[in-house]
Amino acid sequence: MDAPDDLPLRRFTLIEVNDAKVPLCLRLATSLAAKIAADLGADVLKVEPPGGDPVRRAPPFLPQGGSALFQFLNTSKRSLVLDLASDTGRTALKGLLEKADAVLFEEPTVAAPLLRASRATPIEIAAFPVEMNAAARPVSEFAILALGGLLHMVGEPERKPLRLGGHQASYAAGLTAFTGLAAVLAARDAGQTAPPVRVSLTEVMQWVNWKAASGAEAGGTSPGREGKNSEFQIVPCRDGHVAVVYTATQWPAMRALIGDPRLGDPKFNIRAGRRQHIVELYEIITPWFADKTRAEIQTMAQAKGVPFGPIFSPAELLQTEQYVARGFLATMDHPTLGTLRLPQLPVQWNGRSFAPRPAPELPAPELAA
Amino acid sequence: MSARPLSGIRVLDFGLLTAGANTSAMLADLGADVIKIESGAYLDPFRVVGKPDDDDGWWNRSPQFRFTNRNKRGLALNLKDPEGQRVIRELAAHCDVVVENFRRGVLDRAGLGYKDLSAANPRLVFAAISSQGDTGPERMNVSFGSTLDATSGIASLTGYAGEEPRISGMDVNYPDQIVSLFATGIVISAVMAARRTGKGAFLDFSQREVASFTLGEEILAASADPARPNGRHGNNEESVAQQDTYRCKGGRWIAVTLGTPDAALEAFCASHDSAAAVAALLARGIAAAPCNDGNDLLRDTALQGVTLVRDDRGGLVKGLPYRLGGKGITIQRPGPDLGQHTCEVLRELLGYDDAQLKRLAEAGVTSTTPTVGEI
Repeated sequence: MDAPDDLPLRRFTLIEVNDAKVPLCLRLATSLAAKIAADLGADVLKVEPPGGDPVRRAPPFLPQGGSALFQFLNTSKRSLVLDLASDTGRTALKGLLEKADAVLFEEPTVAAPLLRASRATPIEIAAFPVEMNAAARPVSEFAILALGGLLHMVGEPERKPLRLGGHQASYAAGLTAFTGLAAVLAARDAGQTAPPVRVSLTEVMQWVNWKAASGAEAGGTSPGREGKNSEFQIVPCRDGHVAVVYTATQWPAMRALIGDPRLGDPKFNIRAGRRQHIVELYEIITPWFADKTRAEIQTMAQAKGVPFGPIFSPAELLQTEQYVARGFLATMDHPTLGTLRLPQLPVQWNGRSFAPRPAPELPAPELAA
Repeated sequence: MSARPLSGIRVLDFGLLTAGANTSAMLADLGADVIKIESGAYLDPFRVVGKPDDDDGWWNRSPQFRFTNRNKRGLALNLKDPEGQRVIRELAAHCDVVVENFRRGVLDRAGLGYKDLSAANPRLVFAAISSQGDTGPERMNVSFGSTLDATSGIASLTGYAGEEPRISGMDVNYPDQIVSLFATGIVISAVMAARRTGKGAFLDFSQREVASFTLGEEILAASADPARPNGRHGNNEESVAQQDTYRCKGGRWIAVTLGTPDAALEAFCASHDSAAAVAALLARGIAAAPCNDGNDLLRDTALQGVTLVRDDRGGLVKGLPYRLGGKGITIQRPGPDLGQHTCEVLRELLGYDDAQLKRLAEAGVTSTTPTVGEI
């Protein structure tokens, strides 16, 4: 599958090594980083274990068969199957590494010594920071969200901590690994010796959740989930829900938008007062939303510069005027699955988008070898 | 220090809060010389949000500002003043990258948009990070981090089972945090192209799109099957036998993921303190972890890895989300005071002399104190 000639990473060759027995949450990070590079034109060769990358069998599934997760994470790549437990497999991999600029893989992999010693720069994805000495610790993406402190931030204070929807630990780590990869390629391009990159999902989650550490350091008490005590809450409206979001400077505009004279009470003028009387504040504002649609609320709020957020489901995003106008959702013709619609890279480069090409079918074992 | 991946690259940084300022911070981490532009009339809002007290110099003490802007030099130049605009245009001629996350049109109106700056410097890589992107009917919409939890789809999949959606909230503002992880890599890719071809690029990032991109498989699955049920399932995940948070003896919560369901888990956790429960589960090969808070993250240096560092004033600041050559970063300089490096940079890059600098200060083009009045 050739990339168009003028894509920005066209000159680079990358290997993505998929060992058979790796926690899937690490694989999602590796595959996302490599997918971004592949959509940008890098020649990405995905080395799958016999039987294929287990993500091929991971949900969500498409009604016509196959994994939506796999199709999303492996666009624009080529693939081959190698048994890295065999000498033949490792020899074949060695040959591929000779021609590559960088190699992405997860810890632990049987091929780690070979990969770290190759002339391709290693990009390693791990679960935990090296300092934890936790190579044998059981891994789940959910437990990593807990370690990094993100679970503590979402939900009601007296109820269970909640995870954010999607694969946020894996994908944030995948975006990070892409940036690390870009740094490696830039160093090699400038004739430098490129440093190896290591990304752990746990460190990425803590880094993303830096306000918890910053808040605890500054005030002694950690920020945490506030639920119905928060100034930002979710309220029902005629056709769904809206997130009430506003900054301190936007309070007067929000007060004018809702138009209830009770909001003029001086106790609501500053943030501390609004927080102290938050139940009363929401009793006043909630009825305003009930008879309006999300679209009406967004139009009225934006007209006053208030950043309320109507809540959309993935299915509704497919119809979103803004996404349609920007062509954010690509239409991709897949040879066996038909026409697929999926988000493309969230950047326009001189007005250009990067259309993804279909993920590879599972090839016969050791074809390329 | 040996050459780093972005050694020799200079960044003109109009980035504010997290989305913009952190993208340029990550470029600084890789060796770029980042010069941050603020003005007395318009501070990075983090200086105000994190205001610790009302004493003189409060604008230089915000922890949030210092967390995000370490390793940058800081200039204060009035963007609304034609003289300030002229100086910034001169600076842009000496830069490789511009990062900005103003509302669309702000820099264009000041004559500092991509069209103006690239006319004088065609190799400029211009990263415009905005809520909705630079085009489309909603391009002028305002948002704050958690607005995008809602509009990106993340909130629709977050919540207690069968209940209303949830956002990450003002202490996380999750969509603001992830955009820099992606934007930095794209900016580096464009810098590589500019080094090779001499031609820069206009990079248009929509934060909302970045957040929706993290739900790629959900959007793809919904497009293939419009009837696909979704919504809130608490902490459950499709194809995971049992996964939830459980309250332990003493009140701490732990997160557990099981390959096979275990109805006794809740009672087991309730009768053990969190450390004992996690240790016992791990010993049985089950993924488990305490639901840490900010103080836990501060205490556990092994867990922190390279994500937190101290600057030379002893202040805690953001480290790296990844390691290069096995290491994190050393902080070369703390987050700048307002206008701390205005004179240094204008002398160094533009050759200004004392008389010129004095004139700019007297005219209010440069400053070291806010002119925004009471906050």
